[in-house]
Amino acid sequence: MSNATHAAHHTTGEHNPHLAHHFDTMGQQAGAAKLGMWLFLATELLMFSGLFLAYFVIRGFYPDMVLGAHEYLSKTAGGINTCVLLFSSWTMAMAVRAAQVGRPNNAEDSAKIKKYLLLTLLCAGIFLVVKYFEYSAKFEHGMLPGKFYTAHLHGYEIEGLPHIFFGIYFFMTGLHGVHVVVGMGIMIWIYMRASRGEFSAQNYAGVENAGLYWHLVDLVWIFLFPLLYLVK
Amino acid sequence: MSNTIFLNGKESPDAVETHHHVSPASHYVVVLMALFVLTGLTYAVSFADLGPLSLPVAIFVAVIKASLVVAFFMHLKYDDKYNLFVFLGTLIFIGIFFGFTLFDLQARDALNDEQRTFVRREEQRNAGEVLQVGISNDPTRLAEYEAAHPGHGEAHGGDGEAHGEGEAAEGGAAEH
Repeated sequence: MSNATHAAHHTTGEHNPHLAHHFDTMGQQAGAAKLGMWLFLATELLMFSGLFLAYFVIRGFYPDMVLGAHEYLSKTAGGINTCVLLFSSWTMAMAVRAAQVGRPNNAEDSAKIKKYLLLTLLCAGIFLVVKYFEYSAKFEHGMLPGKFYTAHLHGYEIEGLPHIFFGIYFFMTGLHGVHVVVGMGIMIWIYMRASRGEFSAQNYAGVENAGLYWHLVDLVWIFLFPLLYLVK
Repeated sequence: MSNTIFLNGKESPDAVETHHHVSPASHYVVVLMALFVLTGLTYAVSFADLGPLSLPVAIFVAVIKASLVVAFFMHLKYDDKYNLFVFLGTLIFIGIFFGFTLFDLQARDALNDEQRTFVRREEQRNAGEVLQVGISNDPTRLAEYEAAHPGHGEAHGGDGEAHGEGEAAEGGAAEH
């Protein structure tokens, strides 16, 4: 950040301490950050699309097995988690909004951003707790991927090749769960930055990009839930 | 700024800036309620017996939900169009990825039957001609396999006596 004479500075009087020296204005800096975030989200979508395609291929090969095995997933747990994630997407959108309308160096406005971030963090925690109970039930019943599959020894007769279904189930929900954990880490980081009073209407790209990431996690679950838990 | 940017022939002083758009809080509440209602709908529909329609219906509702999240929570409706371009470009590539793979999946059976390029062991076993993939076309490996699995010759369509070189040729012939 250069505090030297900034002759090329275009907007009058604007000199935000968060402006990096290689950008002309805060608006340009935020736009570049957001474009970068969208490019990253594009790679995330492509990564998850491979798993979704694997799901459709497996479904195409073994339709009866997928329908038989999916009955063993808890629709209630999946439904609760869907609502929790949707609600957390709302709290995240509100956190971004609180930053967008926040006055610079205003403790009250920063507290509002922090409140919504904490709510989002709480929802992410609830999601993982529900997921923990779901996973431990699957472990207990031996409904595991590939060679670890032992459900037949626990009295569950599932037609066909259910170890393949549980392979794709654990891979997809597992990768999604990793994204939730990473999202919680990002949320804590943004919370700390908000505590330092970094975010306001003049500088909210950090909150906004964290929000974009979190909405992507929600977006993936919106497709995971009906495909894995509900579909007949 | 030394270099002025022109858009559509007009000077555009803030072309490189991102645009602020603050949605009213009530919009977010409406979107959240719509998302809850649509989730309830998918949940209810999963208990109704829609037969082959259930997958398209579930995906259709999920696409509507995803569009709401992308347009309002992720601001793409109000954002610079360049970000929308990145997002839609990604969807096009995912479409190509899905489209060609699923075409292959559908066309695969017909092509295999026509060209016999892929050996499906179960079906051939049921039809009485057992082909061990990677074994039947290699006389030495076939001989080893036959020695290790004495019962195997029964289902081979032969008389079950002649193991060895002769049968290897027969196995090779059955493949074509």
